[in-house]
Amino acid sequence: MTDEGYVVVLVRSTNHALRAEKVLENVRIDCKLIPVPRQLSSDCGVCLRVRRADREVVREALEEAGVEVRRICGV
Amino acid sequence: MTKSVDVRGLPCPQPVIKARKAMGESDVVIVIVDNDVSQKNVTRMAEKSGASVESEARADGIYLRITQEPGPTSDASAESKDDASGVPRVLVVPGELMGRGEHDELGHILVRGFFHTLGEVEPLPQTIIFFNSGVKLVVEGSPLIEDLQALTQEGVQILACGTCLDYYDLMDDIVVGTISNMYTIAETMLSAGRLIYL
Repeated sequence: MTDEGYVVVLVRSTNHALRAEKVLENVRIDCKLIPVPRQLSSDCGVCLRVRRADREVVREALEEAGVEVRRICGV
Repeated sequence: MTKSVDVRGLPCPQPVIKARKAMGESDVVIVIVDNDVSQKNVTRMAEKSGASVESEARADGIYLRITQEPGPTSDASAESKDDASGVPRVLVVPGELMGRGEHDELGHILVRGFFHTLGEVEPLPQTIIFFNSGVKLVVEGSPLIEDLQALTQEGVQILACGTCLDYYDLMDDIVVGTISNMYTIAETMLSAGRLIYL
């Protein structure tokens, strides 16, 4: 798998997504809060889009901050 | 057959509407405009529908020669921003939040999600008008800039209320769209086929 493009990070709730965004902003990782793509869920939720290359850093940063990551998916 | 339309003196979005109508009637259309904005808007609409545009500046106006390759797909994308009767869809953004609730934070999430999604769904509006505190979404530092720029590349016209930018002292900070006045805003809203309030 290449490091190009984006992945989306699915979390437990809207509030977790907001917290996750703040965590990533603090460690200066580019991210964008977006609605969960239609192909991933029919829930009306939000998730974070991050660069694929940042995937593991993001996972660690969020886990350390206590944000529960449900899934990280390619888009 | 060549058809000629004179849109000099007409307010936006009339030049685009008239040009598009003429394109439906003839493969070669000459549109005479009198300002840069009309030239850009008409050119963008024509090119988006697959036509080629040559411009010639003359003393009495700018002559745009639009040549369409006859074909079944030539009109499809141009029509996609209009409703069935051929008049444009206009999206109005009167505030920096989507909806109202106890917490502004949620309204922020929603407005960001909405504009991100707009790039992925059909149909697109022809014009998006930002006014009142909505203008904060088109200036430096807005989280929507990337999405709005992508929409303008798709041919969506973005207008921001000049009075409102001035009120918030943001006139110099606009990074996407065009500063507009109440005449254009009112005319665009009134000539919309469908007016959608966010």
